[in-house]
Amino acid sequence: MLFSSISFIYYFLPIVFSLYFLVPAKYKNLVLLLSSLAFYFFGEPRYTIILIFSTIVDYTHSLIIDKNRGRPAAKLALISSIIINLSILGFFKYSDFFIGNINALFSTDFALLQLPLPLGISFFTFQTMSYTIDVYRNEAGIQKNPLGLATYITLFPQLVAGPIVRYRTIAEEINERTHSFDLFAYGVRRFVIGLAKKVLIANQLGQLYQISVSAQSSSVLFYWMAAIAFSLQIYFDFSGYSDMAIGLGRIFGFHFLENFNYPYISKSISEFWRRWHISLGTWFKDYLYIPLGGNRGSNLSWFRNIIIVWFLTGFWHGANWNFIIWGLYFGLILILEKLFLNQVLVKLPHWLRHVYVCLIVVISFVIFNNEDLAVITLSLKGMFGQLSIPIFNAESIYFLRSYAVILGISIIGATPFARDLIRRGLQSKTSEKIINGLEPVLLLSLLLLVTGYLVDSSFNPFLYFRF
Amino acid sequence: MKKLLTGDFLGDFDEAALDQFILRDQFRRLKARVENTILHKNDNNDIVVRGDDAFKLEYPLNEESVVRFSSYINTLTDMYLEDCQVYFAMIPDKNYYVQSSSDFLSMDYQKLEALLHDSIKGMTLIDLKDALSLTDYYHTDPHWKQENLDGVLERLRQEMELETDFSSIATTVKRFAPFYGAYYGQSALNLAPDTIEYRVTKASLNAIVKNVEYTGDPDQAPGVYDEQKLGQLDSYDVFLSGSTPLVTIENPDSKTDKELIIFRDSFASSLAPLLIEEYQKITLIDLRYVSRELIGDFVDFEGSDVFFLYSTLIINHSDILK
Repeated sequence: MLFSSISFIYYFLPIVFSLYFLVPAKYKNLVLLLSSLAFYFFGEPRYTIILIFSTIVDYTHSLIIDKNRGRPAAKLALISSIIINLSILGFFKYSDFFIGNINALFSTDFALLQLPLPLGISFFTFQTMSYTIDVYRNEAGIQKNPLGLATYITLFPQLVAGPIVRYRTIAEEINERTHSFDLFAYGVRRFVIGLAKKVLIANQLGQLYQISVSAQSSSVLFYWMAAIAFSLQIYFDFSGYSDMAIGLGRIFGFHFLENFNYPYISKSISEFWRRWHISLGTWFKDYLYIPLGGNRGSNLSWFRNIIIVWFLTGFWHGANWNFIIWGLYFGLILILEKLFLNQVLVKLPHWLRHVYVCLIVVISFVIFNNEDLAVITLSLKGMFGQLSIPIFNAESIYFLRSYAVILGISIIGATPFARDLIRRGLQSKTSEKIINGLEPVLLLSLLLLVTGYLVDSSFNPFLYFRF
Repeated sequence: MKKLLTGDFLGDFDEAALDQFILRDQFRRLKARVENTILHKNDNNDIVVRGDDAFKLEYPLNEESVVRFSSYINTLTDMYLEDCQVYFAMIPDKNYYVQSSSDFLSMDYQKLEALLHDSIKGMTLIDLKDALSLTDYYHTDPHWKQENLDGVLERLRQEMELETDFSSIATTVKRFAPFYGAYYGQSALNLAPDTIEYRVTKASLNAIVKNVEYTGDPDQAPGVYDEQKLGQLDSYDVFLSGSTPLVTIENPDSKTDKELIIFRDSFASSLAPLLIEEYQKITLIDLRYVSRELIGDFVDFEGSDVFFLYSTLIINHSDILK
């Protein structure tokens, strides 16, 4: 079920909210669990069993770990849990990748499994693993109530596309949390803003991307429009989803951590990755990079650790070579920044550092978005004038003009300009009153407009559902 | 239950929820207004509104489709029409008349025509482009207006050597309003609706229409103008009851035994009731709904004039032909 669908907004949510706020506190987790299972079941009926199995695995293994602290059995349980989780992920997500590559390498003819990817498997697998690891490390208390753990793992606001909420972040809130009008209002505001980012901006940019890649007459402008539109689309799509997840969480009394922090204003790629998909970055940092040794030891082992982490970050996103290249591309740039680029960058004017980051990121998303390496090469050649095509033509100008306003809004929207404007406004009592008065009107208008777009549109995929 | 387990239930529910959403038209209009006035997009759902006229972007030219179309009708000619006098006319879609506008994307009509000229064999090509203008089309619909087809009829009279002086036939004009054309709904805007006018003549009143899809009482069968369709989903269906694979119009008062077979799309529905003045029988075949291999079982082509009359909208999407 999509957050940005009429059935979710106008049918599923009202029913869940009604049940959730009507039942006594001790039944709230049960309502959330059943709602989450229904949410998953409606979209992915066959694989709901995997979600339940994954929950049982981590519940039982963490109990074993807790009972055998300091003994080899605890470590064995941890390893067993990790192997089972990664096996599930590997089987469903990576089988065909390995079979295909073995066939290509050894001229064999093993049949591909062609299994549909269970919705959100990359996200919920990482969440369940984080729970067991944290219990093993004693960084999170054991959840003895299976209902509590199942509620955490299946929690529908963040189940299928993150952010990757670690158990320790909401451990206390699973057992006891508060609800208030302020939390509810904040959650609604955040949800509507995320919904608007997704439906009013990301979907429009997605259309521009589709137009640009399927244009009849290619031009350099079309290649750039496609690359920029996708780079902005994926940001508004994914950060919009995260906003909706955080907002829904807040309505139910949970405080999820932020997943994006205006990544496109970064002045280096290291900074970009501290602002982009923060929950994934910190997951890899805490559960892989640091255990590997992090930046301790020689430069060689440091760079080895970076390459391993970024190889796996790319691979996590998809079972194709382009994702691996994409991950390694960032790994290499991060190494170069640490070696000498950062020293060069700090001497450059801010605007030039932004251009550097945007260029690197836009190119990265060309790699990310094309599974065919030949298409990546063609796109990059097209962008940098290496094909015999005009700079622009009537078709590209038509669509650039048609989408100019939405591009302008999305570029400004990717910066903290609006947020800072509102914060400045809130410093004066008069403008604070005006802003507070206007806010519900603006949010309602956005919701109505989103509804208009949903009712009239068929283009509504979530990009991160692929992972 | 099966749909629930396959995940189809949610898709069906989503679709129904969208279709039945409260104030659906108003929400669609809100979106269209924002697209037009705030985002300044050139089109909404591919519908471009310029003044009172709505256009659907028909871009780009699909050269493969044009070649496929030519090959399709050449094969059909080889199959059935060896001894027939065959004519071909392309109806320009209304975008043709605004193609020079800088904020409009149009297919390359010159190239389309050149491709047709190069590949269509064994038939007389009739040029209708300058017999029409933008005002000859409905504002909110892709079709041409029957009441504005004098230029087309005159061009056909010249090229097909017809004897009827269409301009001198006694006619009663009937009107229906409001006519909300196909682009009205797609634009989602409050466009001014059109008026449908249709010409009732003695021949059209007496004509006997046999529609292969009509299953009711033959005595109650609609004539060339099916007025029950007015005010329904598509009022343009007043002309020959709308889409059908095969329909014949017989003129019992005809002084000749001339027959005409029209391979056509929906544009011909409004032209045929006027052409019946010239013929004893007109057969209209819509190859979107019947395969060319089967049509020989139902139609005798011998001795008939044959007219291929297709809009550029079909030529550019010829995979629709069976």
